[in-house]
Amino acid sequence: MLSALLVPLLTGCWDRLELEERAVVLGISVDTADKSTAKREDEITHTADGFPVPEVNMIRVTVQIALPGRIPLGPGESGGGGKGRSSETVWVVGGEGHTMDDAIMNLQQQISGRIFFGHLRVIVVSEAVAKTGMQNINDYFRRNPEVRRMAWMMISKGNAERLMRASPELERVPALYLMSTMDNAVKLGKFPENYVGMFWSNSAKKGQEGYLPYVELKKEQNIEVKGMAYFKNDKMLGATKPFQVAAYMSIKGMNPAGYRGVVKLEGHENMVMVYATSRRSSFKVRVENGELVFTVSIFTEINLEEKINEQFSVNDSAALEDIEQRNKQALRTTCESLIEEMQQKGSDIFGFGEYARAKKPGYWNKNVGTKSQWQSMFKEARFEIKVDSRIRRIGMKAK
Amino acid sequence: MFRKRKRNRQQTENVQAAPPSMEELKQVRLNGDLEKAVELIRGVLGMNDDFTVRRFQAFGKYPAAMFFYPNMIDMSTLNSEILKPLMYGPPHADVIPDGGDKLRDFLLSETLYHSDIRSEELVSKTIGDILRGQTAVVIEGVEGAILFGTRTIDKRGIDQPATEQVIRGPREGFIELLSTNISLIRYRLQTPDLRVKTMDIGRRTQSKVAVCSMEGITNPDLVAEVVRRLEQIDVDAILDSGYLEQYIEDNQMSPFPQVQYTERPDKVVANLLEGRVAIIVDGSPLALVVPTVFSQFYQTVEDYTERFLMMSAIRWARLVALVFSLVFPSLYVAIISFNPELIPTEFAVAVAGGRAGVPFPAIIEVLVIEVSMEVLREATIRLPQQVGGALSIVGVLVVGQAAVAAGFASPITVVIIALTTIGSFATPAYNAALALRLLRFPLIVLAGIFGLYGVMIGLILIANHLLSLRSFGVPYLSPLVPGVLNGMKDLFVRGPLWWMKARPKLLFPGDSSRIGAQMVEDLKAPPNNVLDPKKQNDGREEN
Amino acid sequence: MENQREITTIQAGAILSSTIIGVGVLPIPLFAVRGADSGAPLVTVCGVLFAFLGLFLITRLGMRFPDRSITQYGEEIIGKWLSRLGSAAVIGFFAVLTSLAAREFGEVVITSVLTKTPLEVTVIVMLTLAAISTRNNITTFAYIHQFYFPLLIGPALLIVALSLKNAEAINLQPIWGNSHEGMLASVLTIAALFQGSFIITTVIPAMRRPQTAMKASVFALLISGGLYVTIVAATVSVFGSEETKNLLWPTLELAKATSLPANILERLDAAFLAVWVTAVFTTLNSSYFLAVKEMSKLFRLKDHKLFTFFLLPAVFSMAMVPRNILNMYEIIQNVSRIGLFVTVVYPGLLLVVSVLRKKRGETSEKRSAT
Repeated sequence: MLSALLVPLLTGCWDRLELEERAVVLGISVDTADKSTAKREDEITHTADGFPVPEVNMIRVTVQIALPGRIPLGPGESGGGGKGRSSETVWVVGGEGHTMDDAIMNLQQQISGRIFFGHLRVIVVSEAVAKTGMQNINDYFRRNPEVRRMAWMMISKGNAERLMRASPELERVPALYLMSTMDNAVKLGKFPENYVGMFWSNSAKKGQEGYLPYVELKKEQNIEVKGMAYFKNDKMLGATKPFQVAAYMSIKGMNPAGYRGVVKLEGHENMVMVYATSRRSSFKVRVENGELVFTVSIFTEINLEEKINEQFSVNDSAALEDIEQRNKQALRTTCESLIEEMQQKGSDIFGFGEYARAKKPGYWNKNVGTKSQWQSMFKEARFEIKVDSRIRRIGMKAK
Repeated sequence: MFRKRKRNRQQTENVQAAPPSMEELKQVRLNGDLEKAVELIRGVLGMNDDFTVRRFQAFGKYPAAMFFYPNMIDMSTLNSEILKPLMYGPPHADVIPDGGDKLRDFLLSETLYHSDIRSEELVSKTIGDILRGQTAVVIEGVEGAILFGTRTIDKRGIDQPATEQVIRGPREGFIELLSTNISLIRYRLQTPDLRVKTMDIGRRTQSKVAVCSMEGITNPDLVAEVVRRLEQIDVDAILDSGYLEQYIEDNQMSPFPQVQYTERPDKVVANLLEGRVAIIVDGSPLALVVPTVFSQFYQTVEDYTERFLMMSAIRWARLVALVFSLVFPSLYVAIISFNPELIPTEFAVAVAGGRAGVPFPAIIEVLVIEVSMEVLREATIRLPQQVGGALSIVGVLVVGQAAVAAGFASPITVVIIALTTIGSFATPAYNAALALRLLRFPLIVLAGIFGLYGVMIGLILIANHLLSLRSFGVPYLSPLVPGVLNGMKDLFVRGPLWWMKARPKLLFPGDSSRIGAQMVEDLKAPPNNVLDPKKQNDGREEN
Repeated sequence: MENQREITTIQAGAILSSTIIGVGVLPIPLFAVRGADSGAPLVTVCGVLFAFLGLFLITRLGMRFPDRSITQYGEEIIGKWLSRLGSAAVIGFFAVLTSLAAREFGEVVITSVLTKTPLEVTVIVMLTLAAISTRNNITTFAYIHQFYFPLLIGPALLIVALSLKNAEAINLQPIWGNSHEGMLASVLTIAALFQGSFIITTVIPAMRRPQTAMKASVFALLISGGLYVTIVAATVSVFGSEETKNLLWPTLELAKATSLPANILERLDAAFLAVWVTAVFTTLNSSYFLAVKEMSKLFRLKDHKLFTFFLLPAVFSMAMVPRNILNMYEIIQNVSRIGLFVTVVYPGLLLVVSVLRKKRGETSEKRSAT
């Protein structure tokens, strides 16, 4: 018995891998590779005989690896030094391959430590790759036990690798900057909480499609959330505009709310800025003539943020009610147009299908049943939207 | 060659004149023949230069001899209370009986002043008593010897217990002398129920061992078993209660102690009142208390003398320290080498940075530093007082810092090890702390092989072992495991004193209740605000 | 060994619960959603009820013969040779169950935590741990399970509670589920997870008051069944039934997706696995103990220590039989079906025959002092 316990000691510990021997990957980006790479590729995961070359386009994978000790915890210890610019805190390196695993294996050939995904926070996929289909990427990350479901996946407009190399002023580590941007967007109410795990859950559901943040790199090396990229199965169809995210969040009743809007009052120059602070929404579904009719009731609370000019005053409740009315109108229009746009593309990112499946299972089982069926039926469904707004605060000014 | 033989023969001749052994003398009686008595006793004890035989004439007429070890007795008592009355005779007696029994009775009841007297006929017992510091007097014509209890051995004063110091509680600790120790217990338990049974254990040391129990509280089976185990001991020497502990323990292979020891009389009394048995050995300041359960190892006297809310919190802190001292280093090794995804990202990278320059893997580093920590601890125990205090602090800080600077260890490792060591000091019972300290090492090794999974395997093994251990039949993890609800009041938190109405059931005591029922009712009444200004002023107005 | 009668009702309940809560905790949501999509909690409840049927039969049978375990009273009821066959089947089944549980445990560990450790090592270490622990007598066995029982329930409930903030009620609707194709199969698979409760046949002879065995069984089933239902409900509400079908071990993913407030520890799955190790240990300990103890009673030996290491190589080699993880799950399905036969039908048969033949065990008062 004792020898059985001692034998493992003799043969060594298999899984022990010291922290400093791992290449801790903080962020990863996936782009399409240009055509010439296929020719100069090394034969790492395949040879001409035996394991053949996969028949897909090549992709380029770039990883951002944290350099040990270069991310100082305290106010610059003796090991960190410097301003901690990204060139000193992380190392960005890329590799190409036919599939995700292929590319990462090629990459591993170049890196001394073993690639470790346990701290992967950000996955950036370029629009081009997303439009061809994300099955491979999704599958790879799902099977890997190290990947956490709380990472952010995002679609970048244009080249994704640039996001990996960006070094914004505010943060020491670019990948963490990307992550904080998204987390803060969630906190400020500008984007729903949508980690990669939720994206996978949504994509898998029969009555819903997944969506991802759509970001763009700006001049100052910072990124901007440019809307939502919506999907059908694993392919990206397109992206919404940023303000439409507000409509989405209103329909789903997601809090905190953070979008501001301009409300025009009587007269061209009379405008106020309002800011939604909380939202509530509820769905109802009924079947009319064999068709599904959804009723969405939205309630938002808004603050009055600023008046554009002093020609008019906001000093009585009638004025506030006027603003509320106009806001309701505006919001309703925006929501309706968003739903219409989604219906045209056939991508139900709101989850109306799920709602129908849950509340009207009889109808669903008979007429729908599968995801593809819903994708076509979604186009025929009718929507009624009711919006209600209330102004809660007007700030410290009396008129 | 011939010379050698002659020398050998001479040596054997000398050896042949050895004194008669105690075995041979077992049945010999003193029959009044003084010279024979002197010869016998001197034959056994006469080799020693510190043995004295004093001849004198009792009452001027009867030859007599006194045997004693002058360094073990109180000389002034000897002179004034034994020699003097024997030589002068009592003032009130006119006639001194002639001899034999009458003389002895006269001596015992009318002449001698000393309070502790008895007469003894067997030579072996007489010699045994002389060795214990008593004085023997043999008078011509009187059968047997008269023995006086004159034992006085220099002892140190009663001082603060060295190993168990408290802020609030008595500052008395046991000393080596059995009689003083028993007196310390007796004056705290001034009840006729305290029973002290003594026996002599150890062939050559003949150490006196006292077994204390409370009649009516302690289960008689327990006392009988303790006595039985003690009587089984047949060894040369019992130099300390620790020897006894190892002979009466249930499971000697276990790292966990099944017998508790203490230097404090109040702790012994508290345990006696719960139904336990105390064993005290002459020559050792540490008393043993049986049976023992694991929960006693993190309880201190202060827990009960201070108020319950604060002490419950402090007891929690102690438990945390205990757990820390066991698992912290292995958890560190497991997380760093196997599962770094458990710690927040920035922290993980920073730790990696700290470890970047270190040549060894985490487990080797931790093992090396742990072993050096143990060595350092042993060193500080042996150092003389003045140097010792400085070295421990200097050792930890400076050596640790130097190791980090040399690139030999990473700063995080040093912090972890330091916290672990401090945690192990927080455990009140030294023997339990020792057990946990040493169990750390297998856990670290297991963590190094299997990571977190290995730590769990190790902890399960330890827990299973604890669960199968018993101390005199009491499960080691009582009251947690057999699930006695009443016992839980004192387990993780210290319940208020008026909650603990019954003695621990696990000891099967005789009389179960500790607090009078009336008192509990009285405590529930609202407080009587005697010096309330309103009351006092009203009282004055009436006057 | 025969004379110890110290196990209290609560201890019996704890033994049963900790035995049942074991390897099955991780894949149970998968089994459940395969049966009825969002009706997974309901499927679990059905499975629990079915399991209770089996447990009821066994407990009733055991209470009729409060002094003996199934090997012994089997002989009284249906004759020596038939019952020996039945008892051998029971012992064999539980030995196989131990090996499969150890194998499943090894698979989880090498897939999610220790990716480079050989499977054999994880399995043998766990089996050795279980074997060492079965050397104790039954009272210590009860202590072990009583001690670990709160350690299992607490963290499981904690993780479920923490994960609820990501839950969406709509994932659990419709409560009956949309499609019911694999429902019977799922219910049977889930009921099979409760087979470890057979240990009560060994526990009843050592209980202080065997009449309360039924209370202990109900208590245990409520707790372990309740825990399973809660876990399934939490998993499905967080992930949705479709995504759950994609996951091999949904409960583990649930722990991965949970984080302590203020992000003190981010991925709780490694910590959850640590707690799960104790759950698997109690289960393995139980089924191994059952096999060994019944074997010693079959051969009329006083002490079961002889068999603890004797059985180890056999169990280990059985654990290595499945070729890969999916093969293993198929084998588990089949073995569980057979097991239901052994653990439900055989005791049911015994119960019916004992009622018909009016056989009852003597209680210890009627027996003369030994």
